[in-house]
Amino acid sequence: MRLKVDKPQIKGFLETSFVDWQGHMSSVIFLGGCNFRCPFCHNRDLVLFPETLESVPLKYVLDRLKKFRAWIERVVVSGGEPTIHSGLEELLRMLKKHGLKVKLDTNGSFPERIRSLMEEGLVDFISMDVKGPIERYEKWCGVRIEKERILESIMLLKGSGIEHEFRMTFVPSLHSEEDVYEVAYLLRGSKNFTIQEFRPVNTLDPSFMSLSPYPREKLERIRKKTKEILFC
Amino acid sequence: METTDINLFVRTSEETISDWNREKIVEALLKETTIDEPTAEEISREVESIIRKSGIKFITAPLIREIVNAKLIEKGLENERKMHTRLGMPIYDVGNLILHPNKENANVPHGPEATNLTLAERIKKEYALLAVFSQEVSDAHMNGDIHIHDLGFVDRPYCSGQSVEYIKKFGLNFPHTLSMAKPARHPEVLLAHLVKFSAALQSNFAGAIGWDAVNIFFAPYIVGMSDKDLKQLAQMLVFEFSQQAVARGGQAIFSDLNLYWEIPKHFENTPAIGPGGEYTGKTYAEYEKEAQRFVWKLFEVYKEGDGSGRPFFFPKPIVHITEKFFKTDGHMDFLYHICDVAADKGNTYFVFDRGETTKISECCRLSFKLERRDLEDAKRPWRMRYCALQNVSINLPRIAYLARKDDAKLFNLLTERFLLAVRAHKEKRAFLERLLSLGENGPLALLTMRRDGMPYLRFDIASHLIGMVGLNEMVQIHLGEQLHESKRALKFGLKVIAHMKLLADRISREEGMRIVLEQTPAESTSYRFARLDLRDFSPFSGKIVKGNIAEGKVYYTNSTHLNVGVRINPIERVTSEGIFHPLIEGGSISHIWLGESRPSKEAIADFVVKTFKYTTSDQIAFSPEFTTCNSCFKTSRGLKKKCDYCGSEDVDGITRITGYFTKISSWNKGKLGELVDRYRNEDFFTYSKKAAIR
Repeated sequence: MRLKVDKPQIKGFLETSFVDWQGHMSSVIFLGGCNFRCPFCHNRDLVLFPETLESVPLKYVLDRLKKFRAWIERVVVSGGEPTIHSGLEELLRMLKKHGLKVKLDTNGSFPERIRSLMEEGLVDFISMDVKGPIERYEKWCGVRIEKERILESIMLLKGSGIEHEFRMTFVPSLHSEEDVYEVAYLLRGSKNFTIQEFRPVNTLDPSFMSLSPYPREKLERIRKKTKEILFC
Repeated sequence: METTDINLFVRTSEETISDWNREKIVEALLKETTIDEPTAEEISREVESIIRKSGIKFITAPLIREIVNAKLIEKGLENERKMHTRLGMPIYDVGNLILHPNKENANVPHGPEATNLTLAERIKKEYALLAVFSQEVSDAHMNGDIHIHDLGFVDRPYCSGQSVEYIKKFGLNFPHTLSMAKPARHPEVLLAHLVKFSAALQSNFAGAIGWDAVNIFFAPYIVGMSDKDLKQLAQMLVFEFSQQAVARGGQAIFSDLNLYWEIPKHFENTPAIGPGGEYTGKTYAEYEKEAQRFVWKLFEVYKEGDGSGRPFFFPKPIVHITEKFFKTDGHMDFLYHICDVAADKGNTYFVFDRGETTKISECCRLSFKLERRDLEDAKRPWRMRYCALQNVSINLPRIAYLARKDDAKLFNLLTERFLLAVRAHKEKRAFLERLLSLGENGPLALLTMRRDGMPYLRFDIASHLIGMVGLNEMVQIHLGEQLHESKRALKFGLKVIAHMKLLADRISREEGMRIVLEQTPAESTSYRFARLDLRDFSPFSGKIVKGNIAEGKVYYTNSTHLNVGVRINPIERVTSEGIFHPLIEGGSISHIWLGESRPSKEAIADFVVKTFKYTTSDQIAFSPEFTTCNSCFKTSRGLKKKCDYCGSEDVDGITRITGYFTKISSWNKGKLGELVDRYRNEDFFTYSKKAAIR
């Protein structure tokens, strides 16, 4: 896997979100392109055809952030996968210069990038997607990958003092309940593990759109059991 | 020929069948109108002749009356005909009413009691338009220039704000009641008194019954209560109000509970009244902990919802946030608690009482600065009883159609309509004064009782509400841009409301009556105005009214709100809508529709605190949507065709119509059109980022 030497294009900008940074209002910047091909990904175009999407000028984004400065002091940089862009640092420095707190959404496939971002103090919060149990990672992320890198990122976050969370999207028919618990064992000791509900909308693999979402009651049960694993 | 020669029977309104008697016509004409006897005689003979020639065997009294009316018209006796009018309804309409639900007010269920209410309202409405209001005012209402709300309740004031202290001090002691109750000694009894008094008030007011600082005034009664008992009390309070569907017309009492975390400044030093109506020797500031425990429990009840997990429709919990809130211990925990309810069930109303001037919310969240007299009253809070006598709304888009982009004409017409609304207020005021002057033997006996030396209804400080519908469309017609589309449009909208505010203040001073602007909920008025204008200002109005014209689901945007369907960042919505709030004392609110999404309590709290700090918004509420199943009695998030749990199609959708939650099946067509259009902030509140990525 190689780094893309480019200035990341902003392919989506959400001024206000109530859900992307837990406990706070935030703005969200979406960068195009991804090194993963998770079949259940719901940002299909952003991953596969970023060049077909209109870019939002950075100046516009900064102007709007300035306008809402009193209300919003946090920006989530999401994707796609932000860490594939070599110009990510430059973008984050710009946001930091404006006094904003930054959260990075990442799939954890570039631990060395994550480390350097942390060391430079460019991120205040990192949210890492764990797609499923490590040994069958290709099944979840749709590409061949050195699994050690994912593990390294997980350990990096767990050992760092930086605020972080792990997220897993539970996809019925792809994941079994046991898969969730396996991930939970891996993450044991970490306080922040969120199980997200899969939504069959605009998925990368169109066949996933016909899946029904998992019954909410069952999901709640899984969440409860996961918590027990994490804290035992 | 003599009358008895006719072989004719009359079905009278006294449920008897009488022989024909021409003299009855003469008697009625002489009694009810100003006609002279010879003319009355002449008319009666002519009517008799018509009936005789028809060969009819049975005739009803109403039909005779209408034939007489026809004769009065023939003779050009217009005024006499009016006085001789019969009020009533066609048999077809009555049949329909009995069979089908009323859609004018979603808070009226369907049933015999409700039908009674509607029938009575219909007749009183006709009476109001013929006998209470002048022809000019009535016509303006009928053609939709203005809308006089609750005409069917013309013989009552509009809405009211109450103090629990009154029943704590005086017990339940109404004129003409069968039993008199002394001041309550136990919290459960106080609760029963509160609910019963609310029901009694509902029979004397058209609309909302609001209760001020409920948790604070309950506090002296709950000292030493266990958590379990307190929770039980909170549950009883909410359920008792929400299930009061046996009162007037089967309608739940439109009830507001005003609540505080802090003891607001104006009640800090107020001597507290406790069990038995006795002073406890402490001030309310000393009951802060009890007041907080109670309000906390109330919100636990709201969080749980009713027996099937639905949000409670009534009573509405209205939390006042004053500057002191942020200096009171535990305020963030409490804020998260009520934001959790807002996100989950939607019940919480956040009212912002900024600055050091004291405000209280009366009915319709009508808030006003407490003046010296009110601050005096705050030491004896049972005196703090407020009411609005009536609410009249102005059709703003209509004015813009007529003004044809001419500023001067627009503002002149606005002034004209405003004065007409004031006139409607004066006419209603005069009518109510007459009813109240009959005292404890009159129809509004309850409102005239003088337990504390002054009448229960404080007529001298009553408000008169003037509302507005469709500012957004008015500006759209006049400038070609809606409020959200340009600064110019927003500014012009502000100019219109400022003009109304100036008029209200000036006329209040000149006439010595309190006139205040209100954001009319306009549940059916926004539909009515849109329908009438669609008829009268077509084809242009077809481009202006919102909703679905083909299905007849049309509406104007409520009050000064921005277009409900446009994707606007909630920050910008509360900021822009909030600029109108300082000018509008009554009922100002911004709605944030949530749809299916369920944001975290922390993020909502963040938004609430910043709305307090950075905007002039008076009030916000978050409105989720629900589907409740009539087969398995479970409730799920979002509006669905089938139950999430059991798949049944026997489901009801629930969300906020304007100022309260209700079943969508009871909504009028205009509101159904609005529901389709509502922008549910999915880009901001869910993980679906469709609109952000193009």
